[in-house]
Amino acid sequence: MSELSLFLGCVAPNRYPGIEAATKKTFSKLAIELDDLLGASCCPAPGVFRSFDEETWLTLASRNIALSEKLDDDVLTICNGCYSTLKEAGDTLKKDPKLKETVNRNLIEIGHEFKGNHDVRHVIEYLYQDIGIERIKEMISKPLDLKVAVHYGCHLIRPLKEDGSELVNGNISFFDELVQATGATSVDYEDKMLCCGAGGGARTAILEATLKMTEKKLHNMADAQVDCIVNACPFCHLQFDSGQQDVNSRFRKNYSIPVLHYTQLLGLAMGYSADELGIGMNTTSTADLIKKIKD
Amino acid sequence: MPSNIEKCYQCGQCTSVCPMGEQEQTYKIRKFLQMEKLGIENEESIMTPFIFYCTTCYRCQDNCPQGVNIVDGVLEIRANAVHEGKMLDAHKKVAQMLMDYGHAVPNNTAGREKRLQLGLAEMPSTAQGSDDHLDEIRTLLHLTGFDRLIADEMPDMKVNEGLTLTKAGFDQPIAEESA
Ligand code: SF4
Ligand code: SF4
Repeated sequence: MSELSLFLGCVAPNRYPGIEAATKKTFSKLAIELDDLLGASCCPAPGVFRSFDEETWLTLASRNIALSEKLDDDVLTICNGCYSTLKEAGDTLKKDPKLKETVNRNLIEIGHEFKGNHDVRHVIEYLYQDIGIERIKEMISKPLDLKVAVHYGCHLIRPLKEDGSELVNGNISFFDELVQATGATSVDYEDKMLCCGAGGGARTAILEATLKMTEKKLHNMADAQVDCIVNACPFCHLQFDSGQQDVNSRFRKNYSIPVLHYTQLLGLAMGYSADELGIGMNTTSTADLIKKIKD
Repeated sequence: MPSNIEKCYQCGQCTSVCPMGEQEQTYKIRKFLQMEKLGIENEESIMTPFIFYCTTCYRCQDNCPQGVNIVDGVLEIRANAVHEGKMLDAHKKVAQMLMDYGHAVPNNTAGREKRLQLGLAEMPSTAQGSDDHLDEIRTLLHLTGFDRLIADEMPDMKVNEGLTLTKAGFDQPIAEESA
C-alpha cells in the first residue's frame, strides 16, 4: 500500500513534465508506490499568495493536504516552493487549533477536512533520510562521470530549519551526497547557497533584477567548469534554464550550462534514457551533456 | 506568523547581505523595516512596489543579530499593501490564473505536447482538468474573500522617475510564472 501521494504543483507538470516523468520512473525503480493526488491545485505559491492573503494561502494549502490525508498518505513534493507552502502551512495549523478551526469551517463547505495527522516531505530529504545513500547506490546501473553544480534552493533549506532538522545543522551536505551517490562529483563553487533569483514573486514583479542574481550564480558555476546544474525545484529549474537564455540576450552573455532536476540525474544513473526523462526538452541545450553520458 | 520587527535596532546587516539589494540599489530592506516600524506609509511611499522585489531567500534573517523574522515582516507589509488595493499588475494576472485554472502556471499547448511525448497523460491529474475540483477551489477563494481582493480597482502605481530601479518589470507581457 502506498504511503505517499505525489504533489505535482504547477511548473513541473505544465512546463517541465520531464521532472514528473523522472520522479515516477525513479520511484518505481525504488519500488515506492506514489498515489496520484486527483484535483490538487497550486500549492499555492508562497511568495505571491502568502503575501497577498494568509488565510487564502492556508485554506488552499490545507485542501491539498486534506486530499492526501484522505488517501492516508504523507505528501511528497518535488518543488521547494510547494514544500515551503505545504510544510509550513501544515505545521502552522497543527500548532494552532483556532486557525485550524477557521480553515476547516471553509473546507467543510466543500466536503473536506484538514486533520493534521500526516506530514509533508520533499523528495530530496525523503530520499536521503528514508531511502538512504547506500540503497540509492545499489540502484545505480550507469554511474555518471559528471561535474555538477548543486543548487539547494532557499525553500528546501528554510522549512528544514523551521523544523529543527539535523540536515541543516552546521555544514549542509545531504543534497551533495545524493548527487555523489550517482557517481557524479559535486563541485564546490563561490557563494553556493545564493538564491536563484526567482522566488518570492520577484520573477513576476521584476524579471530583470532577478536575472541579475541568476547571472551572478551562473558566473560562479561556469567558473567551476561544471557539466550541469542540478536543482531540487522546478521553479529554480525554470530560472536557470529559461532564465539563462534571458540572461544571455539581455546582458550579452554566452552561458550554456545544462539544467537537471535531481530526479532526472538519478534517472540517468538508473539507466533511463535522456528522452524518457525529458532532458532534451529544456530551453538551454542539453545536447553536449547527453553526448557525454552516451560516450 | 506575526513579525517582530520592533526588535530591529537598525544595524543594517540585513541590507548588506541582501542579494536583491546588491543588484537594485533602491531595494533597502533595513529602510523598509524602519518605515514600517515608524508607520511611514503613504501614497508617495517608495515601499510599494519595491517591497515585492524580495525573493524571500532568508539570507537577511539568517544574519540578523536581533533574530528579527524579517521575511514575515516583508509578507506583512505586502499583505497590507495588497489589502489597500496595491497589488502589482503582474501579480494580479497570476492571481487571476489561480481563479481560472486552479494553478498559477496552467497547462498550455507546448506543455501538453511534451507530456504526450513522455507518455504522460495530456493533462496532469490536477485541478485544471476537472470542473468539480475547480468549483471547490473557486468556492474557497470566495469564502476567504480572495475573489473580491483581486477584483478591486487598483490605484495607479506611481513609480518615481528619479529612482534607479528599472520599470521594465511592470511592462512585461502576461506573467505566467510566480512563486
Ligand atoms: S539585521 Fe536585524 S537588527 Fe539589523 S537592521 Fe536588519 S532587521 Fe534590523
Ligand atoms: S529575504 Fe528578501 S530582503 Fe532578505 S536577503 Fe533575501 S531578498 Fe533580501
